[in-house]
Amino acid sequence: MDKHRFMKAVLPYLLVFPAMFGIAVFVIYPVLYLGYLSFYKYNLMNPAKSKFVGLENYAAIFARDDFYKSLFNTAVYTFGTVVLTLAISLAIAVWLKRSTKLNAFVQAGIFTPHIVSIVSISLVWLWMMEPNLGFLNFALKSLGLPTSQWLQSSDTALLSVIIVSVWQGIGYYVLIIVAALQGISPSIYEAASLDNASNWKVFYKITLPMISPQLFFILIIMTIGSFKVFDTVRMMTNGGPNNATNTIVYYIYQNRTTNIGYASATGMVLMAIIGILTFVYFRMLAKKVHYQ
Amino acid sequence: MTQVFPIARRVLEYVLKLCLLMVFIFPFLWMISTSLQTFRETLAYPPTLVPAVPQFVNYLTALEAGPFGTYFKNSIIITLSIIVMQMVVLIPAAYGFAKYSFRGSGFLFSLVLLAFMIPGQVTFIPVYLMMADWGIGRTLLPQIIPFMTNAFGIFLLRQYFKQVPEELIEAARLDNASELKILWKLMLPMSKPALATIALFSFVSHWNDYFWPLVMTDSAAVRPLTIGIAMLRETEGISNWHVIMAGNVILVLPILLVYIFCSKQIVKAFVYSGIK
Amino acid sequence: MASIQLKQITKTFDKHDVIKDLNLDIEDGKFTVLVGPSGCGKTTLLRMIAGLEVQTSGQIYVGGKDVSKVAPGQRGIAMVFQNYAIYPTMSVRENIEFGLKNNKVPKAERTELVEGIAETVGLSDYLDRKPSTLSGGQRQRVALARAMVKKPAVFLMDEPLSNLDAKLRVQMRIELIELHKKLGTTFVYVTHDQVEAMSMADKIVLMNKGEIQQEAPPEVMYHTPSNAFTAQFIGVPPMNISAMSDGFSFGFRPESASLSKEKLLGAFAAHGRIVTREMLGSETIYQLKTEHGSFMIKSIDDSFRVDDEVHIAVKQDKLHFFDARQKRIAPSEPAYEQSLDLLRGRRYG
Repeated sequence: MDKHRFMKAVLPYLLVFPAMFGIAVFVIYPVLYLGYLSFYKYNLMNPAKSKFVGLENYAAIFARDDFYKSLFNTAVYTFGTVVLTLAISLAIAVWLKRSTKLNAFVQAGIFTPHIVSIVSISLVWLWMMEPNLGFLNFALKSLGLPTSQWLQSSDTALLSVIIVSVWQGIGYYVLIIVAALQGISPSIYEAASLDNASNWKVFYKITLPMISPQLFFILIIMTIGSFKVFDTVRMMTNGGPNNATNTIVYYIYQNRTTNIGYASATGMVLMAIIGILTFVYFRMLAKKVHYQ
Repeated sequence: MTQVFPIARRVLEYVLKLCLLMVFIFPFLWMISTSLQTFRETLAYPPTLVPAVPQFVNYLTALEAGPFGTYFKNSIIITLSIIVMQMVVLIPAAYGFAKYSFRGSGFLFSLVLLAFMIPGQVTFIPVYLMMADWGIGRTLLPQIIPFMTNAFGIFLLRQYFKQVPEELIEAARLDNASELKILWKLMLPMSKPALATIALFSFVSHWNDYFWPLVMTDSAAVRPLTIGIAMLRETEGISNWHVIMAGNVILVLPILLVYIFCSKQIVKAFVYSGIK
Repeated sequence: MASIQLKQITKTFDKHDVIKDLNLDIEDGKFTVLVGPSGCGKTTLLRMIAGLEVQTSGQIYVGGKDVSKVAPGQRGIAMVFQNYAIYPTMSVRENIEFGLKNNKVPKAERTELVEGIAETVGLSDYLDRKPSTLSGGQRQRVALARAMVKKPAVFLMDEPLSNLDAKLRVQMRIELIELHKKLGTTFVYVTHDQVEAMSMADKIVLMNKGEIQQEAPPEVMYHTPSNAFTAQFIGVPPMNISAMSDGFSFGFRPESASLSKEKLLGAFAAHGRIVTREMLGSETIYQLKTEHGSFMIKSIDDSFRVDDEVHIAVKQDKLHFFDARQKRIAPSEPAYEQSLDLLRGRRYG
């Protein structure tokens, strides 16, 4: 008889065990291991010869200009991507929010890059942005606009990477914002029009606050996602020219075989940054977004 | 006049929206066009938009540049194994978190959220060393087993399970159904949309993955398609755009075809993931 | 078929006793209705009988057997839920069959049972439909069929009619009474609606704040409520209760008072002004303002109008008295005379 109660007590643990095991082995243990490695001068050929160096790796990180350069690039990249993506996808979403065949078709088209590998995206844009033969400069020249060196100049390389990322990401965020816009009850707009509110006021006072939970979700997802940018950089610029597009993850990647302890310490710093950003966002979330 | 004006407006709206669409579609069209051009055509100025004679030979050249059969097979094995394994792990976990209250559930679930926040870009060095330690560094496993717990999937499915009315489960208990039967016969059939979304997400992100195989693999035998295509630039030379684009089409085409035929469902699934 | 005994049942949620030391015997084969305001513990009680909720202490016997530690599916109980809890991904047939399958009933027997039940509840043509294509009434029948097919010793129903529209509800009430007669099984039915309780029950168990206020057949409960709560919960409009001195109070049912423009005589008499008038067809409900407070009066005479000055009177055998602890004072008790005196004192004083 009591088998029933025993099973009832143990079953939930059995159910979640495999998942928790995976998290323990492939997330929590590696993070601890990463912390451990960050205190060592690790010898890949002969781990027994690794040497405990305390905080030396961390001291080195904060003393090196190339780290600050990659941190700065990552911050610029994140800021640029988040702001541009949010602004453009919001504008497109408002434009395409009515549920018509044409709008659904355009949305589906805009979304296409999102499901394609970043490898393909990068190759296509490398070719598009090719300064002499690429289509982009051809198009600019045909329109009488100045051309650009795009990925091949340290002045424009980071911006070019940002453009590609924004281009790839927008479709997804348009979908989410459109869904959020369509979720707003029409009676709210009817009430506003009876209250004689202007279009701009309706957008600012009703639409924007109503979709703020989704905007907030986008902000978090994109910020965290942007901070770990790597694929586009590796594919299109290899961090160049002249470290103009070197980002934190690419920096870790560069050091991953030659200087494991140092790369690990950088990984810890990256994790701390992501953690702080998440924490700050959720504090803001608790205070600000309260409409649903 | 009043009749003409709205029509003009509608036409303008159509044209503008199609222009917007072209911004996102044209690069793919150009990729396909380039993949069918001769080397000379790729060098032409102004750029060639439509090749004189489609050069399908470019595809053969691309495929001969590396062991693409192996790459393709690896991609399929890796992606399918991950999806199957994740489902086996996440379904019971989501059920446990959604429908049972047990001591420590809050803490364990916060670990799931934590796992969601910590990216592979942070953990890859220790995981790589672990895999080498376990002696499986040169198999496909390092590209599969680290993804056994899909934290996002657990989260999504848990939300879905939570919406299933408690009475349904109680009715099934009164019908003398075991807990596993309730999960299998009742909860899963009701959760098809969520399961499809999770599987689709998993497929897209692992089929397309570049970072993880890049840092985990060092031999062609275990590399997936993404790495193979990315390496075309090194093997074929960075200016052989016609061959590189041909390889690129090979990588993109399967997913693009699926998307063209199921774009409605796929779009729905992605929207669903974002609103929850 | 089985009787149910609850012995010293206590249920605690978050250190708060929802039900404390409750004892209840539910007779074999009877239609018992648990009724009470929301939050009174009636649903919790039902769920404990089903085994969906585990009592904090005490024992539950079904058919004389202690089932306190038996899993819900093995108690020989079927339950109909408020929202029917029909499995949405299964066809009507699969819904009805699910319990049988789990109990390893052979296929041939299963098919026979399912089709027999479907015939009984009028679902034969819908067996292969998905629940989403059924109407509210049909879903209700699926839920009933699913419960009946298991031939349970006890039927539990948790407000099964509350999701139906008014007309269908009345019809289903009659069908349930007939069903009970036909099956002769123990029915335990939970509702917050006293009309449902009155019309269907062999025995009503009225609960409030986790305690049983009264267990009695409908007539007994109506005519001799054991306390003021029962008196006011059963009956529409509720019994008029007015305070006297020493915490005592008296009451009468709205239909027990006679109403006239002339002065009337009775154990209790008063005059006042009509404030509202509600014409219901066969009868009319007036609200009367008197010096003793305001009373609801139900009368077959609809000729009175708002603002009319009228007299009312109630005969002694229609009066109820309640003591300081809200308990009803029976005519045989010494306190009854005392209450009558108090009432007279008020009238003359």
